[in-house]
Amino acid sequence: MTQPAPSAQHQGPGKGHPSAPAAPPSKQGSGSRALGLRVDVRNLSLLGVLAVLVAVGGITEPDAFLDTGNLQLILTQASVIGVVTVGVTFVIISGGIDLSVGAMVALASVWATTLATQEYGFAGILFTAVVVGLAAGLVNGLLIAYGGMVPFIATLAMLASARGLALQITDGKTQIVTVRSVLDLGLPDSYVLGIPPLVLVFAAVTVAGWLILNRTTFGRRTVAVGGNAEAARLAGIDVRRQRLYLYLLSGLCCGIAAFMLIILSGSGQNTNGNLYELDAIAAAIIGGTLLSGGRGTIIGSVLGVLVFTTITNIFALNNLQSDVQQIAKGAIIVAAVLVQRRTLRGGET
Amino acid sequence: MAPEPPPLLTMSGITKSFPGVRALDGVDLEVQAGEVHCLLGQNGAGKSTLIKVLAGAHQPDDGSITWQGAPVQLSSPITAMRLGIATIYQELDLVEGLSVAENVFLGHEPTTAGFVVRTREARTAAAALLRRLGHPEIDPAREVGDLSAAHQQIVSMARALSHDVRLIVMDEPSAALDPDEVDNLFRIVEGLTSDGVAVVYISHRLEEIRRIGDRVTVLKDGRAVAVGLPASSTPTRDIVAMMTGRDVEYVFPPRPAPGAPRATTQPVLTVEGLHRRGEFEPVDLELRPGEIVGLAGLVGSGRSEILETIYGARRPTAGRVQVAGTPLRPGSVRAAVAAGIGLAPEERKAQALLLTESVTRNVSLSALSRFARGGWLDRGAERTAARRATRELSLRPDNPDAAVRTLSGGNQQKAVLARWLLRGCRVLLLDEPTRGVDVGARAELYAVIRRLADEGLAVLLVSSEVPEVLGLADRVLVLREGRVVHQADAQELDEHRVLDLVMEGSPTS
Amino acid sequence: MPETSRRGLLFGTAAVSAGAFLTACTSNEPKEKTPAQDNRPAADDTAGKPVTIGFAGPQADHGWLNAINVQAKSRAEKYSEVTLETTEGSNDTAAQIGQVKTLINKKVDVLVVLPADGKALTQVGLEAMRAGIPVVNLDRVFASPQAYRCWVGGDNYGMGLNAGHYIGEQLKDKANAKVVELAGIDNLELTKQRSQGFADALKNYSNVKLVARQAADFTVESGQAKMAQLLQAQKQFDALWNHDDDQGVGALRAIEQAGRDEFIMVGGAGAKSAMDAIKAGNTVLKATVLYPPTMAASAIDLARALGQSKGVAGLAEMEIPTSVTLYSAVVSKDNIDQYLPTGFS
Repeated sequence: MTQPAPSAQHQGPGKGHPSAPAAPPSKQGSGSRALGLRVDVRNLSLLGVLAVLVAVGGITEPDAFLDTGNLQLILTQASVIGVVTVGVTFVIISGGIDLSVGAMVALASVWATTLATQEYGFAGILFTAVVVGLAAGLVNGLLIAYGGMVPFIATLAMLASARGLALQITDGKTQIVTVRSVLDLGLPDSYVLGIPPLVLVFAAVTVAGWLILNRTTFGRRTVAVGGNAEAARLAGIDVRRQRLYLYLLSGLCCGIAAFMLIILSGSGQNTNGNLYELDAIAAAIIGGTLLSGGRGTIIGSVLGVLVFTTITNIFALNNLQSDVQQIAKGAIIVAAVLVQRRTLRGGET
Repeated sequence: MAPEPPPLLTMSGITKSFPGVRALDGVDLEVQAGEVHCLLGQNGAGKSTLIKVLAGAHQPDDGSITWQGAPVQLSSPITAMRLGIATIYQELDLVEGLSVAENVFLGHEPTTAGFVVRTREARTAAAALLRRLGHPEIDPAREVGDLSAAHQQIVSMARALSHDVRLIVMDEPSAALDPDEVDNLFRIVEGLTSDGVAVVYISHRLEEIRRIGDRVTVLKDGRAVAVGLPASSTPTRDIVAMMTGRDVEYVFPPRPAPGAPRATTQPVLTVEGLHRRGEFEPVDLELRPGEIVGLAGLVGSGRSEILETIYGARRPTAGRVQVAGTPLRPGSVRAAVAAGIGLAPEERKAQALLLTESVTRNVSLSALSRFARGGWLDRGAERTAARRATRELSLRPDNPDAAVRTLSGGNQQKAVLARWLLRGCRVLLLDEPTRGVDVGARAELYAVIRRLADEGLAVLLVSSEVPEVLGLADRVLVLREGRVVHQADAQELDEHRVLDLVMEGSPTS
Repeated sequence: MPETSRRGLLFGTAAVSAGAFLTACTSNEPKEKTPAQDNRPAADDTAGKPVTIGFAGPQADHGWLNAINVQAKSRAEKYSEVTLETTEGSNDTAAQIGQVKTLINKKVDVLVVLPADGKALTQVGLEAMRAGIPVVNLDRVFASPQAYRCWVGGDNYGMGLNAGHYIGEQLKDKANAKVVELAGIDNLELTKQRSQGFADALKNYSNVKLVARQAADFTVESGQAKMAQLLQAQKQFDALWNHDDDQGVGALRAIEQAGRDEFIMVGGAGAKSAMDAIKAGNTVLKATVLYPPTMAASAIDLARALGQSKGVAGLAEMEIPTSVTLYSAVVSKDNIDQYLPTGFS
């Protein structure tokens, strides 16, 4: 233990016994349950936050908040940033960071909506968005994994240059999409059983992310690299290649998100994806992903995104202005993390 | 003649529980001013908890503490420090980016008007403290991160002395030191005690306790099994018996009968002229299946570096490594692992384990692709295989989901060995396999290692403890300053001979 | 390993073709040329003595700002005796100060400055005036009137006012009419002014009430997101004022997605896409209130007149006025053809 243990850790299986003693990590074999419980508790506390928000929304705006239209709206608005957050969660679990996601979304969305690209129709737009995202992710990955650059700096550089390139391509203009098949995907006629296609993509990416993290060697290696990169290397894992793949994955998610944003907004603009990096990182963190790596869940991140989107929704429905929204958003981040820490102490050590 | 002065510190009936474990169960400790009081016990005996109570970092559930004749509550580290109790932890708590002087006076800097640090005064005072500690060569203006571990420890002591200290707790201060640095440490301890300062000294090394200790308190399973024994006259055998409940310190498994077919088999690992500039001279080495070869040497003799270079974690300047006749790509861990080499590194927690992850996930780490089809994990098969490996090594608790950080040192080491058992390797490189492992648990590890060798593995063993190398290995290479100075069958050597070889000629710096 | 290398080759080929395709796709050249702005002659368009005008504007990362640069350049090209010295657009105050100083050192005859931040560039405006270079301050006003000879800019308050009056008139026969406002970036002074003007105008119509207001941030993405929320919050309303046509692209998209058409929408600024929609008449967008980028062309006119020591034709004054506030006209289907050429993309 590098510092004195916090002396006010109340905990213990018997909740409601505040006299239970302070505790360092237990040496007993109850690790398995603590480990399983921790994940649950983490997500449970966020579900609790979400439930409180739903109650607040339902009470303050019963008509506007509690209908299918609003559920569709919240999920749709969560889907673009949600896909980005899934990618970012992988990167953070591996001990890295990706500050360039917003800029990659912007670059991919404008590259995919130039007049020249639009001539190739649906496939051209989708292909371009995905490949531009992958290419930017590849550059990030090469710089970090093989160029030895610190992720913070490499992706900061990518943030600057991708935004610059996006501005150069658009010349500051808004690129309106005229490809009907793309536009139609954002309209109610395309909803499948009442579910917007964007939400379906979000759900698919979430499920894929969960499966990859929890059921594949890739996910296992990601956690290993983030938990202890040196141990992973000495266990024979190709840490550098794994890092490269992770930034590629983040770029891929940004490319998909860019395509979704094109569908949603019907346009490409160099200002797209503004501050996505902060929103995605914040969502992952309140979702329980350790900023230092080695631990995190996809479910937690997705819940984090939903919490943010629901907050925004409730505020807008109540006609609260941006100043109040910003203050409350900051307060809720703090509150969510505090609640989580407290519940964690109850569940873990 | 004055009556015997009251003790400086008396702790009585100290009890401290954590969920599921009673770390201290009515422990008594009595320390006199000016004595070196040694605290002994295996890992998990309660030493760390006791010194944290003494440092004010933990609050006892029960028991009383008397300081200079008056009852006190050590409610926080600051309270303890104000009374004159300083603790030097094993993991040093220095700020690497600050200078030596800044670290020494961290939190109580000499200031003008309350906030302007009088840097020159701090440096002068720090220099005086460093002189007192016998290290005038440490520059108070240097950044602590640039100093060696030994020097950092000196800075940590200077920090303790910068307060008006009456009692210093030292938690395994010699663990990271070379012999002559240990000598200096002992001079410092003697200087402190002659000034009337009491020292509570924790160490695993019995011979140190014999050299500087006045009295010994032995902890076992949270109880004090012996309080205030004379350090110089209590037989080692008795102390070991109290710590372990056994009569002997080391139990080694029997070697296979001499003249076994070993000599006739082809070597599985061949090292030719392996060399890393500045670390070790060219090394030649052959390892046959079933054989345990030991590397004996001091810290800095190049023994860990040789292991890590064979493993590909360091790139050699020259030379090559072959496994069963096939040369390995130099500097590639993956090539070494693919060829069947496994490493249990020196720093288990930092270099081998994912502490928060389960036993299963740690054990399967090097063989993940075996349980995967197209990247898809068959977790049932993974779990079964990991469990088979951990059961073969009797890893406790027998719970594949337990987080590795909850295991004892010996069982953590078994998790590392299980990883290579599962992976199926032919050569096992063991770097300090029993570091941080209870004396009682060591014998079991020795037996495991020997059994692995008997099953056909070739083992290359590095250890700082000469008896361990001699007792476990079949053949021993003695290293000094990066060179192999002697090579012999283990049975032809004894501890004194090896120590002579290791230290012969110029003393290591 | 042959398998790896074959995979590598395949991947390489794919990457190269993808690269070639993508490079071709950066082009944004439209099929037909954008119509140039109006060619009406200037008040005084006979060639006079040569004038060098220094022009410093911000980075064109927004359609309107891009239009400002285009307007200034093409206007200057019309005059054979005018030489335009432009600087690289910059949003960095320090960089822009440096650029203006360079123009002063080059001894241009007149300066036209659209500051990234009006207050921060006041000092360098003063410096130019002291050096005897008249400064035409474009839109974002300097802190001191001494820092410019003439200010020309838009009227944010008037924009809100005109939008409010237009909506009020359209709804005047409707009882309990509901109005929704989609504002721009809330921490900008101009957004406050626009909202204030809008609110003041609506006070003249007792039957009209502002029921909801949300702020977007001038981007399509934010326009879509905020409008979607507004539509969910207000199940029925009669009119929408959107401060900015760029974010209006997103707002229109949200309206289309929600399948709503019971209200009229009024935009702001005067983007070409908005004007096209007004002309086509097939969306809820019925009008837009101008914040005309032609002010940059006017600034060049004024700078030229200053450089040649002339007055403005049609006014009795001997000198150029110190301040020109542009009128924020409402462009609707009735007058769209007149304004279409000034629309920017």
